[in-house]
Amino acid sequence: MKKTSQFLILSLIAFVSLISGTAYTNASEKPNYVITTDATYPPFDFQDKNNQYTGIDQEILKTIAKREGFTYTLKPMSFNAATQSVSSDQADGVIAGMSITDERKAVYDFGTPYYRSGIGWAVKKGSNIKALKDLKGKTVALKTGTSGADYALSIQKEYGFKVTYFNDSDTLYNDVINDNAQATFGDLPVIQYAVKNGTKLKVMNPKAPIQAGWYGFAVKKGQNAKLLASFNHGFAEIKKDGTYDKIVAKYLGASAATFTGSKKDNSTVMGILNANRNAFLQGLWQTVILTVFAIVLASIWGILLGVMGVSQLPWIRAISTTIIYLFRGLPLMVLAFFIYIGLPGVIGTKIPAFTAGLLTLILNEGAYTAAFVRGGFEAVDRGQMEAARSLGLPYSKSMRRVIMPQGLKIMIPSFINQFIITLKDTSILSAIGILELTQTGSLIVSRNSQGFRVWAIVAVIYLIVITLLTWLSNWVEKRTRA
Amino acid sequence: MSEAQKKVKVHVDKVNKSYGDNHVLRDISLDIAENEVVVMIGPSGSGKSTFLRMLNQLETQDDGTIVVDGFDISDKKTDINKVRENIGMVFQNFNLFNNYTVLENIMLAPVELGKLDKVAAEKKARELLDTVGLADKADVSVNSLSGGQKQRIAIARALAMSPDIMLFDEPTSALDPEMVGDVLEVMKNLADSGMTMIIVTHEMGFAKQVADRVVFFESGKIQESGAPEQVFNAPKNARLQEFLSKVMHA
Ligand SMILES: Nc1ncnc2c1ncn2[C@@H]1O[C@H](COP(=O)(O)OP(=O)(O)OP(=O)(O)O)[C@@H](O)[C@H]1O
Ligand SMILES: [Mg+2]
Repeated sequence: MKKTSQFLILSLIAFVSLISGTAYTNASEKPNYVITTDATYPPFDFQDKNNQYTGIDQEILKTIAKREGFTYTLKPMSFNAATQSVSSDQADGVIAGMSITDERKAVYDFGTPYYRSGIGWAVKKGSNIKALKDLKGKTVALKTGTSGADYALSIQKEYGFKVTYFNDSDTLYNDVINDNAQATFGDLPVIQYAVKNGTKLKVMNPKAPIQAGWYGFAVKKGQNAKLLASFNHGFAEIKKDGTYDKIVAKYLGASAATFTGSKKDNSTVMGILNANRNAFLQGLWQTVILTVFAIVLASIWGILLGVMGVSQLPWIRAISTTIIYLFRGLPLMVLAFFIYIGLPGVIGTKIPAFTAGLLTLILNEGAYTAAFVRGGFEAVDRGQMEAARSLGLPYSKSMRRVIMPQGLKIMIPSFINQFIITLKDTSILSAIGILELTQTGSLIVSRNSQGFRVWAIVAVIYLIVITLLTWLSNWVEKRTRA
Repeated sequence: MSEAQKKVKVHVDKVNKSYGDNHVLRDISLDIAENEVVVMIGPSGSGKSTFLRMLNQLETQDDGTIVVDGFDISDKKTDINKVRENIGMVFQNFNLFNNYTVLENIMLAPVELGKLDKVAAEKKARELLDTVGLADKADVSVNSLSGGQKQRIAIARALAMSPDIMLFDEPTSALDPEMVGDVLEVMKNLADSGMTMIIVTHEMGFAKQVADRVVFFESGKIQESGAPEQVFNAPKNARLQEFLSKVMHA
């Protein structure tokens, strides 16, 4: 039983890989590694104005790879997905501003610590706040879920300040600059980078990070020893000959527009569109491709499951019901993580993100499709089946010639609805690092901090595609009615 | 020619059926001869439909034996689809296939079951449409028809398989009064042509006219059966008398 289910999963993956054209090839002589990173963590990892990944981490990695003679495929994703990909054998190594902690040492082997980081705090330029004790009665702006926020809360009683929360750094910094809040706590290099990029803040502890720790390059514990050795050897070299210092200086000393593009490019919708045209187009393409494959395959799978759901045989109905129950019940993101990060460890094969994403959509949207397909068949008047059977038509023929055509007609609006949901659900797959439209938007915002304009653009693109999809569906519906 | 000399088409022996605690058919036994027209009457819920639908196994019996055309259809091993090809059924709600035109409705089963090729099936369908008086409706969608037209198409559809037994479950109950006559006429012609027919109906006048035998169902039992004159004019069973006084006054 376990063997056959394993075989089924494997062949499904093989099939999806085949159609999505992401089968693995490894022709080169040099070792090629898959390295994951955080897609948005400036100045360590982010996209420059040409949509290339850059930052301190990326330059260190690139330089070391060239000198040590290995190549790598970079997979940018969320920080959590980046680290978990390595622990689940989906990737060989991770460089993502990852702090070395005892907890993580149990799971990963770290290379030579390469950057000393910690929490910094900052006030408005020209503020008369000189020390933490001056914060009494003042307001401190914090970013939700960061270690900076945790730290500030831990000292809040002692220094007697109030706190206010923000979700994105840009708004947060502006709050301090406009004197609504008087200080902020966050990752020191990240604040420093913002300051270097023109944010009118003053960092109060540039040389003395609070709760200081080190960033490290990591591989899964006990694996990829060669990669780790190469990294360490290469790192020692660039440290010795000054390349490392140059890289760090380049990012922490850079002027505003060096990486993020000119002010003009970022402050108007047209400017953002022009500067990021390729990124938007590529993101849109991924979204469309995912949607099209998912719609077609989920419909096939859903109809199959739905037909099984009205089978004469109770055990086939039971299989259908169970599968529908399972995959309708799971949140899409959990399913995506399970397939992308959980499954490879069990079946011993890597699953490319696109394949995992597509599989996720097929299973999830397919279950919803199956449910309304089954419902549609059941909604056909019982008398239709009785009339067909009374003529001597077998069950399967009655289904095919009488029930299904009528049921499918009932289902058409549900199908159109499901297609639109599928399109929107592709955005959730940004979580496993698929560079579709939503992920593209995140990357651009992390670079230019123009949240309002970028997300407005992304929203409008989605609406346009959804409108086109609805038109197409309605057109097809009219044709089938005729 | 006496009944006994005729061939038995339907043989029902001690059939029982319950829905949960509701004992719907109790030890029913009934034989129906070739060419015989049997009309079943009785109050609502007495089990007429259930019994009729058992004759082509749209309902299954709990126990007892049902033999149709020499096939024991109460035996699970019998290929019921083959037997059904020879039993036409007409429903109260017509149940025409909504996804097909009139002609396609009639042609579907003979073609799908390989009984006729497309050309022969169409020829036969048009002939049948002619006999039910709807030759001009061949290509319309079934939803555009009146109830009376639908029911006549449904009869034509059943006849397309050339059955030798026809079952009717209240074929005129869903019709406007002015439509009833057309349908009954088609059925009368069918009876005159020698078809073996089992009809559940509340049309007592029609029953008197065409029935060879009238069977009165009540509480899941056949309380009385006999020639129409006897059942309608000299009923012996008290419940039948009560039933008739109700329907005749209505
Ligand atoms: N599928 C079913 N499930 C449960 N009970 C049923 C089912 N079909 C019929 N019955 C019950 O069986 C009994 C007989 O029903 P049946 O339809 O055979 O009566 P009938 O004589 O045809 O009545 P009518 O003149 O109203 O059509 C009724 O009490 C009915 O409620
Ligand atoms: Mg009935």
